[in-house]
Amino acid sequence: MDLLDIRNLTIEMDGPHGRVRVLDKVSLQLKEGEVHSLVGESGSGKSLLAKAVIGVLNPLWDVTADRLWWNGKDLLAMTPKQRRAITGRDMAMIFQDPLAYLDPNSTVAEQITEAIPAGDVTGTFMHRRIDRKTRVAQLLHRVGIRDHDAIMQSYPYELSEGVAQKVSIAIAIAHRPKLLIADEPTTAMEPSTKDQIQRLLGKLAVSQNMSVLLITQDVASILPATQRVSLLYCGQMMEHGDTETILNRPAHPYTDAMIKMSLQAHAELEPKSKLPSLPGAVPTLRHMPIGCRLGPRCPYAQKQCVKAPLVRHREEQSYYCHFPLNEPES
Amino acid sequence: MTRYLMTRLFYFFLALLVLSVVTFALNWLFPGDPLTNMSGIREGQAAYEVTLTSRSFDSTIIQQYLNYLEHIVRLDWGVSLSTGTDVWQDAATYLVVSAELLLLSFLVAVVIGMPLGMLAANYFRHNIDKFILTSAMTGYSIPVFWLAQLLILLFAVQIEWLPITGQINPLYAIDSITGSVIIDILLSDSQYKLAALQDAILHLVLPVLTLSSLPSMLLLRITRNQTIEVLQKPYVKAARARGLSQQRLLFRHALPNVLQDVLPQMTFIFGLMMANLVIVEHIFNWPGAGAWLLKAIIERDYPIIQMVLFTLMALILVLNLLVEVYRGWRFPMTREERYGGY
Repeated sequence: MDLLDIRNLTIEMDGPHGRVRVLDKVSLQLKEGEVHSLVGESGSGKSLLAKAVIGVLNPLWDVTADRLWWNGKDLLAMTPKQRRAITGRDMAMIFQDPLAYLDPNSTVAEQITEAIPAGDVTGTFMHRRIDRKTRVAQLLHRVGIRDHDAIMQSYPYELSEGVAQKVSIAIAIAHRPKLLIADEPTTAMEPSTKDQIQRLLGKLAVSQNMSVLLITQDVASILPATQRVSLLYCGQMMEHGDTETILNRPAHPYTDAMIKMSLQAHAELEPKSKLPSLPGAVPTLRHMPIGCRLGPRCPYAQKQCVKAPLVRHREEQSYYCHFPLNEPES
Repeated sequence: MTRYLMTRLFYFFLALLVLSVVTFALNWLFPGDPLTNMSGIREGQAAYEVTLTSRSFDSTIIQQYLNYLEHIVRLDWGVSLSTGTDVWQDAATYLVVSAELLLLSFLVAVVIGMPLGMLAANYFRHNIDKFILTSAMTGYSIPVFWLAQLLILLFAVQIEWLPITGQINPLYAIDSITGSVIIDILLSDSQYKLAALQDAILHLVLPVLTLSSLPSMLLLRITRNQTIEVLQKPYVKAARARGLSQQRLLFRHALPNVLQDVLPQMTFIFGLMMANLVIVEHIFNWPGAGAWLLKAIIERDYPIIQMVLFTLMALILVLNLLVEVYRGWRFPMTREERYGGY
């Protein structure tokens, strides 16, 4: 059974210009212990998807799905309290700007302590105190912070970005979650810090047997340990499947463009040659194209594309396109 | 922290010094002859020339100010012009009476204002929020002197639940020892202690209610706005994503961060209450420092005016210092913001 099973998740909200469908029938499956990367440009709805899973969406928005299952249990049918119990026990999330996501007026130790489950520490008051302190130190070691004494007493404003992100990872893994959602954890970080955090996430996924849903903006920053990739554009799923297959033989023009953009960004280009990118810009919520939302920007689009394509499968990948690329020669 | 503390203390004493200059200058700024203002002796009287030299009135103004400062430090505020008694001796009871009223009202304001503010913020834009905010706006716009009259008319005259003015029914014959009527009753050996206490509390209701109305509504609005702002902050979202309940979010994560910005506003509100204290004490015939000050102003009893003004303002400064020190200790980020280090 899949740990997380999402089928046709749709989120609609009432904007100033009428009803907008910000997520359009998105499906995603996540197995236990799997590292999954969700790639999409800003505004594609990847954070919304994460929030819908965690259950912290604006209550005024309409969330419908054929299936939003966690371990076989329907998340949408639960009361907020049941939902919070699952979120607090089995899921965790880390964010892009770690310094803003840590409480500025509590020390690191206080914040990690809060996340340690009550059942983990037992005994008398003093015992619990000491236990908690050891647990916090352990957690800090586990995320690669050696001088735990100094860090424990620090306030978030005293930390560097990399250390702050490690602390938020420590908070996230304190209750041994089954799923860690990392929402652009390394965007806007120095390359060396970025590398550290990425390796740490990959290592933790293996050592804790934890699924990781990594949300990134480009194909280049997906984790080395990623087993499966999904690409999201304007709230529509474009393609998902095995990392190897997707990167080598993309079926969807969007995937193809994303790979070319990120891989050729560092390649030497002819003078005055055009940068490899899709023409046009991401449409605004007000002017969402009908059918396949990539249509107006897609170099391969034809008349048919005004109808939303159904899912098609090809070996290890699934895609939503009328005119796939890299078809195997038959 | 040491550096922060030293800076705060430095500003505190600087402010006290400026304050002493202001009270010193009162004699000169008010209409009339400064010496008469100071001592009550009129020009042409026999003692005038003697006082002129004995009070070193003929020396430079700097010298006079230094003399004045020396007297302040020794708590020697001179004698009252109308009664001839030592000002500092009289002040003790008056100040305690006012302190009782002020502290109780402040407590009521905090107890009413902050929880309601957080409640409104929790139900931001819901009907509960709108109801609380509208009531707060109404309470906020009513002038204190008018509200006092209305409350007296309603509770004391129409339905006769509460007494109109005064601290306590004089028939209980409670001796004034400290000035605070509640402490006095507890210290006294009257056989009607409980009844006296009940009577004193009934007497306190209207003044406290009047005095706390404006600060509580102000506090409500400040707390509400601050809480709404804090609840939008990423770290609250992160805490929510950790599956914490709304109560825990509010009290464990939002409240400290709200306090950080509401605390400094509290001293400001306390200053506002001082201004209203004079009005409330006058209306309710409350024997406190405010009423005393008003009487002194009418009688042009300058030593008392100087003393009460200085003490009340110094009290605000002390409160401000305490709040700043607490804030710097509890919220280390604030001292970082201000002085770039600790």
